[in-house]
Amino acid sequence: MRIPTRITIWLGLALTATGCSTIGVKPWQREILAKPAMAVNAYPVDAAIDDHIYFSKEAASGGRSFGGGGCGCN
Amino acid sequence: MQRAAAAPGDPQSYPAAPDVFIEQRDGGLVAACFFAMASPCELLLDTGDLEQAQRIGLVAAGEAARIEAKFSRYRSDSVVSAINRSAGTTVELDAETAALIDYAARCYELSSGLFDITSGVLRRAWKFDGSDRVPAQSEIDALLGLVGFDRIDWRAPHMTLAPGMEIDFGGIGKEYAVDRALALVEAQSDCALLVNFGGDLRTNRPPAAGPWRVAIERPDTDREARLLLDVTQGGLATSGDTHRYLVRDGVRYGHILDPRSGWPVRDAPRSVTVAAGSCTEAGMYCTFAMLNGAGAEELLERAGVPFWCLR
Amino acid sequence: MQLKRPNPPLRLGLMAASCALLGSTSAKAQTATDEKQPWQVDTAFLYYKENAGRLQTIEPIVNLKKDFGDQRILDGTFILDALTGGSPNGAIPSRKPQTFASPSSASITPKAGAKTTLYTIAPGNLPQDPNFNETRVAGDVGWSQPIGIDNSLSFGGHVSTEHDFTSAAVNAAVSHDFNSKNTTLSAGFNEEYDQISPRGGTPVAATDYTLLERQANKNKNVAGALVGVTQVMSRNWLAQLNYSYDRSQGYLTDPYRIVSVVDGSGSVTGYRYESRPGSRVRQSLYLSNKVALGPTVLDVSYRRGKDNWGVNSDTVDTHLRFDLGHYVYLEPHLRWYRQSAADFYHLYLNQADPLPTYMSADPRLAAFTATTIGVKFGIKLSHIGGLSLRLEQYQQRPTDRSSPLTQLQGLDLNPGLKAAIVQIGWQQEY
Repeated sequence: MRIPTRITIWLGLALTATGCSTIGVKPWQREILAKPAMAVNAYPVDAAIDDHIYFSKEAASGGRSFGGGGCGCN
Repeated sequence: MQRAAAAPGDPQSYPAAPDVFIEQRDGGLVAACFFAMASPCELLLDTGDLEQAQRIGLVAAGEAARIEAKFSRYRSDSVVSAINRSAGTTVELDAETAALIDYAARCYELSSGLFDITSGVLRRAWKFDGSDRVPAQSEIDALLGLVGFDRIDWRAPHMTLAPGMEIDFGGIGKEYAVDRALALVEAQSDCALLVNFGGDLRTNRPPAAGPWRVAIERPDTDREARLLLDVTQGGLATSGDTHRYLVRDGVRYGHILDPRSGWPVRDAPRSVTVAAGSCTEAGMYCTFAMLNGAGAEELLERAGVPFWCLR
Repeated sequence: MQLKRPNPPLRLGLMAASCALLGSTSAKAQTATDEKQPWQVDTAFLYYKENAGRLQTIEPIVNLKKDFGDQRILDGTFILDALTGGSPNGAIPSRKPQTFASPSSASITPKAGAKTTLYTIAPGNLPQDPNFNETRVAGDVGWSQPIGIDNSLSFGGHVSTEHDFTSAAVNAAVSHDFNSKNTTLSAGFNEEYDQISPRGGTPVAATDYTLLERQANKNKNVAGALVGVTQVMSRNWLAQLNYSYDRSQGYLTDPYRIVSVVDGSGSVTGYRYESRPGSRVRQSLYLSNKVALGPTVLDVSYRRGKDNWGVNSDTVDTHLRFDLGHYVYLEPHLRWYRQSAADFYHLYLNQADPLPTYMSADPRLAAFTATTIGVKFGIKLSHIGGLSLRLEQYQQRPTDRSSPLTQLQGLDLNPGLKAAIVQIGWQQEY
């Protein structure tokens, strides 16, 4: 499967970001990032419910993380 | 990776408390006096119970000794010395030390890098003995490579200092000890109390007869300026620049060093006294003010805290 | 000495910092024993209802989490899913009534002595089996822990069972932090094994619906891998980029769906069971951002998906969380989704055309756009506890809904769906 140009650009951005040690904050500047709402998976139950609904009703699924197995709905 | 020193609550680690002497003071107050942190210390109580004064005086003295033993850079068995000897290895800090490091980090940020607990290594270049020996710039530059709080790898509770770097809690340690001692003593007594470690003090409330009368001594070769204050609650701290200095080519170099340049701060006040909610907070305002040199009064005015400056 | 207007940043900052220092150490000094970490319990109740007599789901969920100290965390979720209502069977509406047999039926015409469950669809209506009824139970367990200072490991398992489907899966992942914990690289894999035992037996693919040809029960497996990087972009912006790849092999067909066969004028001449390929490879690229704008938190994510069945998808999902005062928050939600049709998707088959190898009329493989619009309303009762209510509406709009054939003129052959989602949640520590 050919990877579209857009995806190549984002991968490039991500690799640049990881290579650039000037991006980021000092350890004591993480007070905003420490807020529960700022976690990447802030609401796991909501996310699990949404993933289940969209897995049952749409052809694409997941991508966020793993977690569980399937159901008989698709 | 080493674990540095014992945590509070560990019975084996407490050093022996210094001897406590009881004195009767004016106005029915009792003082429990002792010597700790290279200063005369006292706990003032609004009580007639001398035995209680002795007993909780020992608590205050014990806490002062504990903090001195744990955080003094002059003691080889202290946490600070263990960190400073770690030579690049990672040290795991206990909760109390970690909290002090977090506080130092926040002060570093609030002062835009002026307050820096890694700046102590600059002492190796500067000897403030009243002479005119000013170090060479190359000596200062070499030491500046070892200064900078942002060079520390601090991810609570693990700290990694590059080899050659050092930290110390000057500007924090004594004031923190005052607040901690008062908290401990307050839990064991319900009279009005004032903890005073060499001029850095904190009180929970005034005596029945009226506010605490505090005299701040600010000796100077030109003037004797004695500040008399009525204190009712909170903390008070004083910083001074009178005794240790150098004079060269008519320029006076006080002993407060700017960690960014490695040179003494220009035009710092001779003495600054600040009142705040806690002694720790008051002490940090004093330190910030001294570091701001000519801008000390302006900083304290903008901060909106009661202060007294002498130039 | 004069008091001018106080400078909030320095004064508040130093006050807060010294309070934090004196508060935290005095608390620690007073308690010599370690604090017991509580269990965090997150309970939710979902009600999902589609329009036009279609699917209705009632689903209670319980999630339990406990930190055993040093970030060693056990996480478990239990789900009960009760589904009822009508389910479209893949056939298109017709100008004449259509009769179908429910999957467990032994015959498609009434027959003495044979258990038959038939349903008749009125002209013009979308055929759907009104007797759909299913209960599913699922459980997940996971463990995660740090390894050294900068790494962590997690692994877990999942089991679910329902009348005609059983699934078991395992997963594991590792992550590595560097750059002062500003960058985290993660990688993981999962493996799932499913057994499918359709009611009434597994139909032989692509065969004539009336012949009821059956075969043995089937299984499938899914193997997937995911790699990702999480990056702190600034003090108030966190981003994550994930790439995932998975491959399913085995029985991937929907055993209950059929495809209508029509003649040149559009009259239905028969039905065929579905037939899907025996393998499917999916890839997705997912970019997520969390941005704090003052006290408000914006969550914006984009996912691009592709698979070798020809389904390409784009998803844009955004939430905005507002705090209304100290205890109450509001979080509007907007999601936009678009997918292309699978290569073997057909609205119906033409009798005159040769039978394709693979075919499906499942609306979930059609081309459509879908939107979700909703709002979540929450009340904080304590540091970690609270109540929440989520109300959402989901709508699918297929692009391919009509046919030029005379008998099918004016009929909406794939009307899409609308669903209401109501979720009540309760979080608490014990």
